Amino acid sequence: MLRITAGKLANALRGTVSGTSRVAAVRCLHGTEESAEEFDKRYEKYFSREGIDGWEIRKGMNDLLGMDLVPSPKIIEAGLRAARRVNDIALAIRWLEGCKDKCGDHQATLYPFLLEKISPTLKELGVPTIEELGYDKPELALKSVYDL
Amino acid sequence: MVFFRKWQHRPYTHVAAFHSRPLFATSRSGIVTMALRLINHALRRQLAAQLPRNAQVGSVASVHTLDKIGKREVVGYGWNGTASYADRVDYPLPPIRFREPNNEINALRVKEQGDWKKLSPQEIKALYRASFCQTIAEVQAGTGEWKMHLGIGLLFTSAAIWIAILMNLFVYDELPVTFDEEHQKAQLKRMLDLEVNPITGLSSKWDYENNKWKN
Repeated sequence: MLRITAGKLANALRGTVSGTSRVAAVRCLHGTEESAEEFDKRYEKYFSREGIDGWEIRKGMNDLLGMDLVPSPKIIEAGLRAARRVNDIALAIRWLEGCKDKCGDHQATLYPFLLEKISPTLKELGVPTIEELGYDKPELALKSVYDL
Repeated sequence: MVFFRKWQHRPYTHVAAFHSRPLFATSRSGIVTMALRLINHALRRQLAAQLPRNAQVGSVASVHTLDKIGKREVVGYGWNGTASYADRVDYPLPPIRFREPNNEINALRVKEQGDWKKLSPQEIKALYRASFCQTIAEVQAGTGEWKMHLGIGLLFTSAAIWIAILMNLFVYDELPVTFDEEHQKAQLKRMLDLEVNPITGLSSKWDYENNKWKN
C-alpha cells in the first residue's frame, strides 16, 4: 500500500489518502484487519520466494493489479526481481505498465514518486522505464478484426 | 439416451418364450433395431477412443482450448483459467504468450537469461511483442473510429442541407400572395379587431385606447 512519507506529497494527495487511519486498515477479509505494512510485507515475501515460477508471479501481479490500491515501491521492486529470476524482461515491463496504470487520475503526482523510488532497482537490473522504451505512447496500431 | 438403448437391447434369453427377442433379426423392424444397436456400439467405442488417456488433474485448459492456441506457451492463470490471449487493462498479464516460439525469439530468450543491460532496446521490444500484442498505452489509446462516424454523419447532414436548398429552388411552388407584408398586416389587424385571445394572448398586448402595442 502506498505510504505517504514526504509532506509535500501528502498535501498533493490529500484527495486520495487522508491520514494514516484510512491507510492502516487495508484488508478486512475474514474479520481480521491487516495493516498496510503487513500487506506490503506479505506480498514482498511472496515475490521474493526463492523458487517462484512465472505462473505464480503472474497470479500475484494480476491479483495486486486488481485490488483498489497502487502497489508500494517495495512490492514493485520485489516483482521486478522476481521477473529477473525467471528471466522475463517482458513481464517486468508489463508489471511496470500495470503499476503505472493503477495510479489512475493521480498519475502526474504518483508515478514520478514511484519511479524515483524504484529507479535504483531498475538501473541495477537493466530494466528500461516505459518512457525510455517509448511505450508510454502507442507504437503500433492494431487492425480491427472487422477490417481483416 | 445411451443407457436407455442399452437396457432395451439386452437379449431377453432368460424371459419366457413369447417375450423373447431373437439375437439375429429376420423381420424388417428387427433389422432396424439390430442396426441401431451396432451403430450405438460403434459410436460409444469412438467416443471412448477420443477421451484423453491421461487427462491432467487440475490442468488449466481443457483439451479443446489447448488445441486452439497452437504452440504458444501457457504462462499463467489469467482471469478465469482459460488459456486464451487478451489484452485487458484489469488483468494485464495474460495466461499465454502472444506469439509462437520461433528461432529469433528463442535466441533472444537465451540472451535474456544473461545480463539485461546487454539487451538493446530493439531486442527488448521484440521480446515484449513476443509475449504481448498491445502495450497498455495502445489498449487505452483507442482506434479513432469515432472520426469515421462523425465524418459520415456530417456527410449525410450536408447532403440533407443540399437537398433542402435544391428543393426550395427548383421544386416548391411560389408562396401564395397572402404571405406578403401587406396581407400579413391586414390579417393581424383583423385578429385584433376580432379580439383574439384577449386575456393572455395577442389582443391583451394591444392597447385599444391608443391604437398601439402595450409596452
